[in-house]
Amino acid sequence: MIAISTLPDVIVLIILGLVSAAIVGRYMAKVFVGRPTFLDPVMRPVESALLRLMGVDASRQMRWKEYAVALLVLNATATVFVFVLLLLQGYLPLNYWNAPGMNWDLAVHTALSFDTNTDFQHYTPELQTSLFSSLFGLMMMMFLSAASGISVGVALIRGFLRKDGTIGNFYLDVTQAFTRVLLPISILGALMLILAGVPQTLAQSVNIVPLAGPAQGIPLGPVAAWDSIEWLGSNGGGFYAANGASPLQNPSAITNLIAIFLMLIIPFSAPFMFSRMVRKEGEGRPLLIAALTIFLVAILLFLYFESYNPFLMSTGISQAGGPLVGAEQRFTLPESALFQIASVYGNVGSTSMSIGALTPGAQADLLWGMFIQGAPGGDGTGFGLLLINTLLAIFVGGLMVGRTPEYLGKKIGKYEMRWSTVVILSHPFAILIPTAVAFIFGLAQFSPAGLPSHQFTAVLYEFTSESANNGSSMGSLIDNTLYFNLAGAVVMTVGRYLPMIAMLAIGGTLASQSPLPPGPGTIKTDSSTFTVFLILFITIVTGLLFLPVLVMGPFAQGLLGGG
Amino acid sequence: MPEDAPFTLPHGARVSVRRKATLSWGEAIGASLRKFHPRHQIHNPIMLVVYIFFFFLLLATFAPWLFPDLDGPAYDPTYYLTLTIILFVTLWFANIAEALAEAQAKAQADSLKEVRSGLRARQIIPDGSRRWVSSSQLHSGDHVEIAAGEMVPLDGDVVRGGALIDESMMTGESEPVVRESGGDKTSVIGGARVIQGSVVVRITAEPGFGFLDKMIRLVEGTTRDKSPNEIALTVLLSALTSALLVVVVSLAYLLGFLYPRLFNLGTLIALIVCLIPTTIGGLLSAIGISGINRVTRANVVSKSGKAVEAAGDLDVLILDKTGTITVGNRLAVQFIPCEGVEPVQLMKAAITSSALDDTPEGKSIIRLAGLKGVLPDRVDAQKSRALPFTPERKMSGLVTPEGVEYMKGAVSAITTYATVFPESLTKRSQAAATEGMTPLAVCVDKKVLGLVILKDVVKPGIKDRLRELKMMGIRTVMCTGDNRLTAQAIAIESGVDAFVPEAKPEQKLSIIQDEKSRGRLVAMSGDGTNDAPALARADVGLAMNSGTSAAKEAANMVDLDSDPTKLIEVVSIGKQLLITRGALTTFSITNDVAKYFAIIPAVFVGFAGMETLNIMQLTDPKTAVIAALLFNALMIPLLIPIAMRGASFRPQSAVELLRRNLLIYGVGGLVSAFIGIKLVYLGVQTLFSNPTFMIASGAVRQALLHL
Repeated sequence: MIAISTLPDVIVLIILGLVSAAIVGRYMAKVFVGRPTFLDPVMRPVESALLRLMGVDASRQMRWKEYAVALLVLNATATVFVFVLLLLQGYLPLNYWNAPGMNWDLAVHTALSFDTNTDFQHYTPELQTSLFSSLFGLMMMMFLSAASGISVGVALIRGFLRKDGTIGNFYLDVTQAFTRVLLPISILGALMLILAGVPQTLAQSVNIVPLAGPAQGIPLGPVAAWDSIEWLGSNGGGFYAANGASPLQNPSAITNLIAIFLMLIIPFSAPFMFSRMVRKEGEGRPLLIAALTIFLVAILLFLYFESYNPFLMSTGISQAGGPLVGAEQRFTLPESALFQIASVYGNVGSTSMSIGALTPGAQADLLWGMFIQGAPGGDGTGFGLLLINTLLAIFVGGLMVGRTPEYLGKKIGKYEMRWSTVVILSHPFAILIPTAVAFIFGLAQFSPAGLPSHQFTAVLYEFTSESANNGSSMGSLIDNTLYFNLAGAVVMTVGRYLPMIAMLAIGGTLASQSPLPPGPGTIKTDSSTFTVFLILFITIVTGLLFLPVLVMGPFAQGLLGGG
Repeated sequence: MPEDAPFTLPHGARVSVRRKATLSWGEAIGASLRKFHPRHQIHNPIMLVVYIFFFFLLLATFAPWLFPDLDGPAYDPTYYLTLTIILFVTLWFANIAEALAEAQAKAQADSLKEVRSGLRARQIIPDGSRRWVSSSQLHSGDHVEIAAGEMVPLDGDVVRGGALIDESMMTGESEPVVRESGGDKTSVIGGARVIQGSVVVRITAEPGFGFLDKMIRLVEGTTRDKSPNEIALTVLLSALTSALLVVVVSLAYLLGFLYPRLFNLGTLIALIVCLIPTTIGGLLSAIGISGINRVTRANVVSKSGKAVEAAGDLDVLILDKTGTITVGNRLAVQFIPCEGVEPVQLMKAAITSSALDDTPEGKSIIRLAGLKGVLPDRVDAQKSRALPFTPERKMSGLVTPEGVEYMKGAVSAITTYATVFPESLTKRSQAAATEGMTPLAVCVDKKVLGLVILKDVVKPGIKDRLRELKMMGIRTVMCTGDNRLTAQAIAIESGVDAFVPEAKPEQKLSIIQDEKSRGRLVAMSGDGTNDAPALARADVGLAMNSGTSAAKEAANMVDLDSDPTKLIEVVSIGKQLLITRGALTTFSITNDVAKYFAIIPAVFVGFAGMETLNIMQLTDPKTAVIAALLFNALMIPLLIPIAMRGASFRPQSAVELLRRNLLIYGVGGLVSAFIGIKLVYLGVQTLFSNPTFMIASGAVRQALLHL
């Protein structure tokens, strides 16, 4: 049995992870600049079949507006389809557990939740969705949303390569993200998970007779396939409500490791893909180091905060055996911490422990990751957000060296600034306004009730998770209500598509500039000075925007002790 | 200034230059108060937020009944009064910064106007007589005579004589300058005063279109266009402001609901004002205006602020060889005698052949010989007959009264002229030519004595400046009419990045278009009419004031000193402008960290762990809020000098600059705020515990409560 419990284990894992990320990143760069890859003979026919099915022209290069419209139309169509599916699932086949059709507001929330790559579940999946909905609605959506995210990230990067104003063809990108990246890796992942003991079947139930009590039916399904795309596609919606803590989804330390690998592989390969695509080897490095630094600090903080519980400490109870509350006892603390940080910082949202029962410090740590969203963030969009943060840092830093700021030969002017600030603004707006409304109008109910600071944290976490398209939940908030379903749907849509549109717009405006050759007057973005600046810039700006709510929530619960 | 300049200041004497362009503080203060009008405040989104909250607090102080149950029984009118006053001061400081920068510009304009209104001059009418006319009666092409103590009526060129001239009214430069006929120091500006000497000036401008008039119009221009970078920065700062507004407003509502005991309107408004980037917001327009003022002080008139900013962004400078990189004339550097000829003999012959040669080349031969200790024989110049240089002859010299013919000239010309041309000299002359130098052969009575080597001399200091430009990432391209060899030699010696030999002035335009099509920003300087199209096309076109009016019209900057290297200085000023903006933005943002550490513990009094967060140990919450807000206000006047002077800048690579400025303004902003807030806190605490102050504030409180 593999168990991660020491620092050297973690370091070995990181190195192995980075090597794989480099390989996948280079492969993805090849795919998206249209160079031949080993999968061509297999996937060419599949792709042309899919494109013909969609009835679209995949050869024409699109400008950003056309690209954005294609993205929105395809996703909207899929959302409506899933919405109808969820409403009508009671009349549809493969419904062993007789899940009734969803309420319209829950169906809206669920359809948008899977479309926006959030996968926030205001319902109990094994009881409230049929296998038919899961297979043809939600799993399809998990592929589509991840593929859409990758497409947008790639289109933004193309802005640095081109000067004709085009950023690629959305239909081709989304198809290839599916056939060349998500499908092959998720098949591999599912096979590994099956080998490690995760069930994969079309049978929907197995009856067991426990040692005590009556016989029980256990819901089953293609869990391994679901798991694989749930994690790989930074989706995070569980086949079971317990998600990564369920022994059927995540039975062992090995599947736990596979999960962590799947969650991080695409986000961390993005900087390598970027370097390759812009044909400047060092350029992805500062972004990778920034994401990795924030990520590793988060793990250390998580371990630190989870290693002592301020409340237990005050009662004098020994915590020598590690935290007992909320942690999955099948895993060691580092295993749980790695899973949880990977899931939240990689914007997956799968959970392997009860977030509501974590110490306030660990909760603040998770919130911090969702405030930043780009360390490393979800598939495609996480890197996009990191790039936008980089543009902002370069703008301020570029002024400091006395030159209109430019990045990879493209000037950053008011147009780029305007769209970048849309991204910066959308997050606090989408989080704070509905949170305040929930309290002012008394819309939030809790079970169990808990302290006001805990209640506040729960609502803050809810909307932060939705705006960041993360999907993890703190529990205790009763969220299947009209307000939380509809407000949540709006927050997820804003949190997903405003930044996406901004990324495409920035990609488009960058793509219409002819590149300037770099000189000694431009900031060397691959320098260590810039890397440090970038990390500090992200930390300070995020801190400025979100420190007050962290103080009201986790801090008030005694993060700093002395409660 | 040439070594033999006719006018030097008498030892120990000081010319009293009355600097009319002094800053009027009274006027600036007045203007700063007038800027409280909403019409002015609306232009600056960041200060507008402060402005609105100022009125909010004003109402909360004097009309608290407007706010239902404001802070409950804990309502403290003196606290609100204090915050109101600090907000007023914050706005005022920002207004002062802008008013000071404008006053600086306006002071120059006012003194200019004063000068313009009363200018009279002695016109030289064609019959040779003089008459006094007003400057408005003069036209381009007229000649005027100006003696010591008199004013130059309009822009023009000195055609006779030389004088020491005070241009301080226009340029603010207190050093008087020398202007004389011939050479490149001929241009005088209308409004300048002749201190010593007397000159005849040919007027080159029509009344109302002189430099003075243009400058007054520029300075008076009420609408100052925001430059592209300023707009982009304003977008960023506005976004940050509105995000922080949402943060604090939602915090206010949540506090009111979850912890009503902690809700304090004044403190929350203080938090907003502290967090939004008021430091850079308050100084932004002052930085822009001061940038133009600095250009003016460098004796360059910029027709727009955009051009100044563009100068900081330049990628390519196109420089004329002659006058910019080289001193403009070829100078003698070496004598090469024939075999069997004494060097002294050659030098004497060379000097004699140049005795009637007024060209700089001729003079340089005499100077070089002088340096080697050979002085000219007394040649009776009156009786000698000059054989001047003509394009056909390609030689020059003289015939002494005794009939001896001294000649010097191009090797090709002398080869045909002289009886015999020594083989060894041919080789030497060819070697010199391949190194980009110009060999002249010297003969006495058709017998060749040797060679004088002339060389294009690179201006002193130009190498360093070109190296600085390279460090700033700017490519330099040298344009010259010379052949490739000569051009190459100068290019290597001076260190320019590229050169275009045998270039016609029209070619500059195609070079500029070529560079621009690759997305580069290009600058050039020029003075001729045929430079005009290129000057207009360039992103920064710097015309020489001595140049033609077509050139000056086309360019977006005019250099009054007619010094083409000024372009390099303008680049520095443009960079400095951007750096100042970036530096103060960084400073503003990093300052916020300490403000959070001051105010958050004050907002969340009694929360767990707040004492850990209160690292500055500000024990009294209200005093802490006042200290943070006051510190925030004080940063504006403290940084006015940096805004007006510009952040210090020396040419460095971008990474070094970034590291340096991050340390000074990033880390500096972080550390200084912690120290500063603590100091202000201690000061405020001392004041508040002063018995007299306590009695006074008690009285104010009672008065406000019974209002």
